[in-house]
Amino acid sequence: MTKTYPKASRPSLDNVSVSIEKGEFVFFIGPSGSGKSTIIKLLLHEVTPNKGRVIVNSKDVTSMRSWKRPHFRRSIGCVFQDFRLLPNRTAYENVAFALEVIGKTKAVARRVVPEVLELVGLGGKEHRYPHELSGGEQQRVAVARAFVNRPLILLADEPTGNLDPDTSIEIMRLLDRINRTGTTVVMVTHDSNIVNQMRRRVVEIESGRIVRDQARGVYG
Amino acid sequence: MRVKYVLSEVLVGLWRNVTMTIAMIITLAVSLTMLGVSGLVYSKVDDMKDLYYKNIQVSIFLKGEVTEQERTDLEAKLKGDSLVKEVIYVDKAEAYKRFQEMYQDAPDLVSAVKPDQLPESFRLTLVNPEQYKGIYDQYKGEAGVDEIVDQSRLLDKIFDLFGAVQNIALAGAIAMAIAALLLVANTIQVAAYSKRREVAVMKLVGASNWFIQAPFVLEAVVAGLIGSVVALAALIGLKFFLFDGSLSALQGLFSPVSWGDIFLIFPVMAGVGAVVSAVTGWITLRFYLRV
Repeated sequence: MTKTYPKASRPSLDNVSVSIEKGEFVFFIGPSGSGKSTIIKLLLHEVTPNKGRVIVNSKDVTSMRSWKRPHFRRSIGCVFQDFRLLPNRTAYENVAFALEVIGKTKAVARRVVPEVLELVGLGGKEHRYPHELSGGEQQRVAVARAFVNRPLILLADEPTGNLDPDTSIEIMRLLDRINRTGTTVVMVTHDSNIVNQMRRRVVEIESGRIVRDQARGVYG
Repeated sequence: MRVKYVLSEVLVGLWRNVTMTIAMIITLAVSLTMLGVSGLVYSKVDDMKDLYYKNIQVSIFLKGEVTEQERTDLEAKLKGDSLVKEVIYVDKAEAYKRFQEMYQDAPDLVSAVKPDQLPESFRLTLVNPEQYKGIYDQYKGEAGVDEIVDQSRLLDKIFDLFGAVQNIALAGAIAMAIAALLLVANTIQVAAYSKRREVAVMKLVGASNWFIQAPFVLEAVVAGLIGSVVALAALIGLKFFLFDGSLSALQGLFSPVSWGDIFLIFPVMAGVGAVVSAVTGWITLRFYLRV
């Protein structure tokens, strides 16, 4: 599969082929600009490849009509480096928002949200606003929001990029726990410590090409 | 719950940018008022045309030296004409009587004119008043005919004036509509910008497109509906103060604008206001809220 952005001199991803099994935990690593974030965008159907196909949950995303995209995204959770929380909503409201905008009732939110906040270790902090939480706690809220709908896949784009090493480890433990519930986790990072500690599958990308694909790998 | 969410978002959105909301409503209201005026003039002119043209007459004045023979020939010809519905002959005495009645306020003028000086004439009612031209062409050269006067030509001037009023109102409505639509587009851009974080999250977690867009489009629709209510109030005010007030002296001239006319035009204004705002809003979102 190849993806070239308009105006780019070379493809962001050049003839890349990767297959990820259900329930796997995969790191995509590589220097900035290597094309690893493009993988997240392709999986989210935010961009489409110029050549080749992207298949997610046995659905061909490449040919998916854009009106089907919202429903498709409900099976995918997403976490980013910058958390992307709503500043004027509490932790609880941020997570509940994700449920309510896809048509879940308030009653469902009242039942599910405290559960998932407990799971990510934020029990008792439901009514704090993002600015009253530490970076690690904010990222936990983001993970809770991504996971509250019980997605099949969790995509994480440098989730530890803004966090100190200790907090990063805690977030990784959380992602690991989510992975153990059967959720496939795809994480893009250049945090070598974390990759080395986790010992999971590592796919290394350089200049848009896969240079390494190793089970139980380290950050080279 | 989703309906409640969307409605509360709409109200919050209108309130957040309240100065723009007011500007948007005022321009929409002025535009819709002008549209309403134009519509009322249009329907009234049709009524008035029916009313006036039905009673309109063409007068064929005869020369002073017209002979008996010429007059009877002409009368026979007019009576046989398929364009003519009714022919009334007005002799000098009859004409003088009418003249006296018409100028009874000016006795000097009446006394200065002798019955003999007034021309005889035929007063024609036409089957279709707009076919005056045919009558004119046909009888102008006829022996004994002095002049043909058509009242409808005067009326045409009046109706041209009404047509001009209608066109000006329509042009004003369009100009104001353009201003209103730009304001709607701008308001929605501002709203989309101030809610960009929410929109990003909604897209990410898979909220449906209509759910993301509905609050913005409805904001424009609500503004359009409020604008049309204000426009209705403006029309009521116009009728009350202008038409029934300062212009009431001219009432006999116009066919009256009833409250029914005004309330009948309201759904048109409301519909135009709502649909045009919605379409503008939706198109704006296509550009500023790529989903």
